[in-house]
Amino acid sequence: MSDLSLLVQMGFGALLALSVYLPLRCGQLSLATPGFYVIGGYVAALLSTRWPALSGAGTGYPLTSLALELVVAALVAAAVALVLGRPVLQLRGIYLAIATIALVEILRVLNLNLAWSGGAVGIFGIPQPFAGPGGYALATWVLLALVCWLCARLEAMRLGRAMAAIRDDELAARCMGIPSADVKLTAFVISAVIAALTGVLAAHFLNTWNARQGGFDASITTLAFVVFGGSRIWLGPVLGGLVITALPELLRPVGDLRLILFGLVILLGPILFPQGLITPERLARLQQTLRRP
Amino acid sequence: MQVPSAQATAAASLLALEEVSCRFGGLLALDRVSLQVQPGEIFGLIGPNGAGKTTLFNLISGVGRPTAGSIRWSDGAINGLPPDRINRLGIGRTFQNLRLFQRLSCLENVLIGLHHSARAPLLPALLGQRSFRQSQGELRQRALELLELVDLADTARQPAGSLPYGSQRRLEIARALATAPRLLLLDEPAAGMNPIEKEELSALIRRLRSRFDLTVLVIEHHVPLMMSLCDRLAVLNFGRRIALGTPESVRHDPAVIEAYLGVSA
Repeated sequence: MSDLSLLVQMGFGALLALSVYLPLRCGQLSLATPGFYVIGGYVAALLSTRWPALSGAGTGYPLTSLALELVVAALVAAAVALVLGRPVLQLRGIYLAIATIALVEILRVLNLNLAWSGGAVGIFGIPQPFAGPGGYALATWVLLALVCWLCARLEAMRLGRAMAAIRDDELAARCMGIPSADVKLTAFVISAVIAALTGVLAAHFLNTWNARQGGFDASITTLAFVVFGGSRIWLGPVLGGLVITALPELLRPVGDLRLILFGLVILLGPILFPQGLITPERLARLQQTLRRP
Repeated sequence: MQVPSAQATAAASLLALEEVSCRFGGLLALDRVSLQVQPGEIFGLIGPNGAGKTTLFNLISGVGRPTAGSIRWSDGAINGLPPDRINRLGIGRTFQNLRLFQRLSCLENVLIGLHHSARAPLLPALLGQRSFRQSQGELRQRALELLELVDLADTARQPAGSLPYGSQRRLEIARALATAPRLLLLDEPAAGMNPIEKEELSALIRRLRSRFDLTVLVIEHHVPLMMSLCDRLAVLNFGRRIALGTPESVRHDPAVIEAYLGVSA
């Protein structure tokens, strides 16, 4: 794998981690991210392979068509999240996690068996809007920067404060007039949109899309990003997504040991840093040390 | 005492409970409790442990539902409404067991109470434009003023969980006040405070009432404090209202003396 391709995948990891982080920021352990990622990928794969008008006259796949796919994927994911979110988000804690895993599994089985999604084979020959991994890296990291910026702004906005309040004590938050169901639904929808946008880029990047892109494994991997990096501030999941995606590749020189080392990192991370690598307190301390002459 | 017509009292009252009952399985936590709270009064609820005082608060604030009876707020029934709706109607509360947002700073706790005053246009907020920063600055100022009122301005940046007990109780009051209530429910605001703090709290509650035009419903175990603080008191025992009236009349009520001291032989 080229270095640029790894950079693209790391960006995907960070984006998916942020998608898990947003519901978690208001205390909701939702593992639906891979489901919306798959939806986004299918939107891109179907639109670009079955609708010739999008391919344009030139050699490459036009960027405007890619932009259209991103918009459609975001709308579809948001609609699905809005409809499913109301009932699903009434579940709490581990029950929400189980329900969202089921959601991802249902989608996987549907996609495996429906004709329009290409069944088990999936959809091949997804056209390329970029000539090489460089373009993908740029697009992915621009999207990542946008999402990071959104998450950073959230800290200053009342929505972000309401989310933090719900995470700390939902009942108290409701007694302070915060409509917790609406806040949780908003987080769920934004999370779904981020995952779907990532899916669009991933489908083009991988050139092929099938039901195996999202499943139980993917739910756990994306959760590991957040557990490892930390879930209290957006920098945590970004770091977790980047590092855990890159680690198996970076460890390649050590040969057969690499999977053992990778497993050790996943195991030791939460033991040594139960709140994840990055916490607001640790960041504040770091800032202080840097400021000191 | 003259008995006013029930209709007339209910019409003038801010909050009216009519025959409210609440059952948890085999336990009747509240048994047909009726009472009316008038605008501007400090109304006390006393009674032994397990008398149903906190249950009553939970029903009023929407945390629980009454199994029978109705709760009327100014002009409509509110039983069964969710807590966030009830808060928006003008009922704020504190919690007996302290439910602050522990990891957030005192300032943030109050800012969360100001949620509905913090509405800002989305785009300027996302772009961090000057108009947004200005409105946020004003919001912070209001939160600081509320903290100052409860004497916590110095600890604005500390996590709420790190404050001493008495300060946490006052922070709960500031957070509830931030939601701009007309009725404030205080659940054992003096618990864990020393006698001096209790005196100060009593003065604070009176100050807040006149400053914000508040009506206050307060649960407290410290009877002397309640006698001096409250305009009227209701006494609960085993889920029933056994007395209601001015502190003076309640103090001499035989049923109250019996509930607190037992029957003399």
